Amino acid sequence: MSATPVQKRDLVLDGLWRNNPVFRQVLGICSALAVTNLLLNTLVMCASLTFTTAMSCLTVSLLRRWTPRRIRMMVQTLIIAFYVIIIDILLQAFWPAMSTALGPFVGLIITNCIIMGRCEAFAGSHAPVPSLLDGLFSGLGYSVVLCLIAFCRELLGMGTLLGRPMPFFGSELWNNWVIMVMPPGAFFTLALVVWFFRSRQGAPAQGGGK
Amino acid sequence: MTLGSEFAHALVVCFAAIFTGNILLTTFLGMCPFLAVSREVRTALGLGAAVAFVMTCTCALNWLAYRYVLVPLGIEFFRFILFIIIIAAFVQFVEMVIERVSMPLYQSLGIFLPLITVNCAILGASLFMVIRGYSFLATVGYGLGSGLGWMLAIVSMAGIRRKLATNRIPEGLQGPAITMIIAGIMALAFIGFTGVLAGR
Amino acid sequence: MSVRDKAWFPVVYMFAVTAAFSSVLIGFAEGLRPRVESNRRAALERAVLAVLPLEAPAADSAQIRHELFKSLTAVTERGAEKVTAYQVVRDGRVRASALLFEGQGFWNRIRGVIGVGADGRSVLGIAIYEQSETPGLGAEIVTPRFTEQFRKGKVLGVKTALRFVAETAKAGSGEVNGVTGATQTCSRLERMLNARLARWTADTAQPGGTE
Repeated sequence: MSATPVQKRDLVLDGLWRNNPVFRQVLGICSALAVTNLLLNTLVMCASLTFTTAMSCLTVSLLRRWTPRRIRMMVQTLIIAFYVIIIDILLQAFWPAMSTALGPFVGLIITNCIIMGRCEAFAGSHAPVPSLLDGLFSGLGYSVVLCLIAFCRELLGMGTLLGRPMPFFGSELWNNWVIMVMPPGAFFTLALVVWFFRSRQGAPAQGGGK
Repeated sequence: MTLGSEFAHALVVCFAAIFTGNILLTTFLGMCPFLAVSREVRTALGLGAAVAFVMTCTCALNWLAYRYVLVPLGIEFFRFILFIIIIAAFVQFVEMVIERVSMPLYQSLGIFLPLITVNCAILGASLFMVIRGYSFLATVGYGLGSGLGWMLAIVSMAGIRRKLATNRIPEGLQGPAITMIIAGIMALAFIGFTGVLAGR
Repeated sequence: MSVRDKAWFPVVYMFAVTAAFSSVLIGFAEGLRPRVESNRRAALERAVLAVLPLEAPAADSAQIRHELFKSLTAVTERGAEKVTAYQVVRDGRVRASALLFEGQGFWNRIRGVIGVGADGRSVLGIAIYEQSETPGLGAEIVTPRFTEQFRKGKVLGVKTALRFVAETAKAGSGEVNGVTGATQTCSRLERMLNARLARWTADTAQPGGTE
């Protein structure tokens, strides 16, 4: 059974905007805020998270007819942990500096509320391809917001982006906002981002089709 | 290290985990229930105490599992799965025990226990403990300190939000955003503790 | 399907799924294990070679670096379980030593190498190969701006320790400038380095040394 074009578009919209995890439910910010002090680290983290969400949703959907209801949470956790460990090992093998920089936060993707939420809410009862797309776009919506936070933090706090000094912010004219490099900066930036998007979106959308 | 100095080290680690390296305010772990539950000081206290207890015990159990099962077999990468299994099993066990032993306690605390299993802070504390290579005593200190620190943060947050209940907050800021701002100010305040412990 | 309604099915299913995923993981981990190990070795080798006064290799390839590294003498100090230092030995005399140090930084472990001259008191340089301090603050300790200070031949008196002074102050003979805003990282690093140097000096003072 394949989703109609309208349903596919809804999936994209829902993941990216209407049900965008960070705005609507502010879920899963735990494991990601700590790495948002550098844009590069955030990009790697978001790629890992999106990959894990998409593949976990796909796998959960493929196994949905066989998984007994009572143990489905355990099976979901196992599947998520499987993909996260693969990413962790890959990072250690091919990008050890990044693996050290991200520290335990790659492993904490397992407890990220978003992935479990998508698996429970969608992948457990839909076909593989829509589940994959749903997971993919949930992950991407989340990534966009995180990258936005990281963009602000690195630019204002260190005057660089992706490690390269930026025109005005990297020069002598700009006094780095050290607070952006420290934990409070992440909290404040996230608050401002949520405020901005919530004001633009107006009242919470009804339903959302999930 | 002698037992005395090990114990002293564990105490210092505990103190540091509560104040200077507060697991919620510096590594942002354990935020989801924090946002949902931190409206009433009483519920916050209950959840905080439960988290502190579970964190201490699971850190200790996970240390043992890591040292005596994973390392000898050379499968350290399995810690992600094993730690979660241990945490889930422990929480189940505690829930069963509380239900048998004390019904009132179960009714007030029992509802929090399922929430705790997916609390990132509990898994996070165990993962940090592995990375930092703490001894067993230091791990217990770290787990206890992290749990108490989490409780301190969430109880403070509940108190502040109670005070804010009568204030006029802009619509976009209500809920998560204002909580983030409060958390940021609290994190700023806790940075002041960094100088207290000269280098632990 | 009737088998799914049987009481034992969940248990068997759980076991089967766990076994399937675990075997894939173990295969994966074992396959990539040599690579992970060689990454660790490479980081250590690069750091050790950076602090020792050796002729710069013609090309920066892993092979040449490895050969150069193998030419060093590994030293295990008393009470240690594995190698704790590497020495350059020419004509039977120790020219320079690279001491491995490790300690708790502000966030996690800091691991690095400090090079000392034959007298055990002049610092040749430091190189940090593992740290996860705050970028822009504590993490500045790996930048050349910070590490180059150690190359300027800081000579420590027998009892004097290495001292970190404020970033804007003038650093004397046994002093280096710290990083503003990274007080914790710097003070921990200071303590780590001094403890390491003290242990080394104590050892080399023993008759027979650490050869």
